[in-house]
Amino acid sequence: MRLNSIDALLAITATFVFSCSLVAQNAPLAKAPSPPAPVHDISGVWFLRSPAAMSSFTNFTFTKEEPELTAWGKEKYSEAHAANGGKYTMETTNDPVLTKCDPPGTPRVYFHPYPFEFVQTPKYTLMLYEYDHTVRRIYTDGRALPSDPDITWMGTSVGHWEGDTTFVVDTVGINDKTWLDRLGHPHTADLHVNERFRRVDRDHMQIDFTMTDPKALTKPWTSTFYYELRPTWEIGEISCAGDYQQFNKFESGK
Amino acid sequence: MKHMTKGPVLIVVAACVLLAVAAPLFAHHGTAAFDTTKTVTVTGVVKEFVFVNPHAQIYFECKNDKGEPEPWQGELTAPTKLSRAGWTKNTLKPGDTITASGNVLKTGAHTMWIRKLMGPSGELQLAEE
Repeated sequence: MRLNSIDALLAITATFVFSCSLVAQNAPLAKAPSPPAPVHDISGVWFLRSPAAMSSFTNFTFTKEEPELTAWGKEKYSEAHAANGGKYTMETTNDPVLTKCDPPGTPRVYFHPYPFEFVQTPKYTLMLYEYDHTVRRIYTDGRALPSDPDITWMGTSVGHWEGDTTFVVDTVGINDKTWLDRLGHPHTADLHVNERFRRVDRDHMQIDFTMTDPKALTKPWTSTFYYELRPTWEIGEISCAGDYQQFNKFESGK
Repeated sequence: MKHMTKGPVLIVVAACVLLAVAAPLFAHHGTAAFDTTKTVTVTGVVKEFVFVNPHAQIYFECKNDKGEPEPWQGELTAPTKLSRAGWTKNTLKPGDTITASGNVLKTGAHTMWIRKLMGPSGELQLAEE
């Protein structure tokens, strides 16, 4: 109970103290009672449930503050016309996902408002994102991260456990056509994404993100997102090809 | 919109709070094309319900103040989200009377982003949670 009280106080504080945003963003929700996390198991369907202080931005970016971009990063970011801020419509955006159905890439895939599922096997763990059948294969067979990776949309990932309940994943070789988020923050093919999936109890997981890309970011961009287990849900089908393009016609009212 | 003041129900209310709460449900593309400063409510009869990606569509017909039929198009969220809220492709059928509240296109076209929906059996849940 004491922990719950502290969590609730943090959440309330986070709602009102935006000036302490780094602390506020990391304040967890008051949690419902949950059994402890199982050992080396994050399988199941998970859904983003952001604390109040974060819900205004977690559908499109990692932090309330802008990341610290290099001059190259700022130039590329100025070329991005994201559709979710209200300034650009489907006809004027250059979002590669919405206009071309490009795969979202890692880590932008987290900014589609649909759940994802972990499927664990002895040698790899699959991440099945509901958005557009997106799959990530995270190798856990002990192989090293490639030093000169081939470039793919979702990157090459290896993972390992730290302690009983934290699954650590490193990803490299991500296509630089993808955005880091829905706002269009850019990255290069040298991007390294580190994700720490911390199952804090059976029903709750936190992901610590660290994006490192010296050509685009003057320092690593970090955030923590909050997820809840949805044991009764099944991953459905969200397809992009053929569907999203029709929205140009729909939104313009033609 | 004056043609809607008789017959079909038309209510315009401030929607800022509703927008803040519901925006993530509609997050795959922008909302810039819709007038989110006003909520419009219309009652009509379903002509077709299309349970498709990326967002389910309801084609329905209202009557203007002259009693003339007026086609409307309403947009919901993704079928997967609606499924988790209990929907199927048969939740709405041609002939069903619905009352839809939401935002319409700035162009004035009768295309609505539906934020609240009353079906033949009462209010319908528009997202999984």
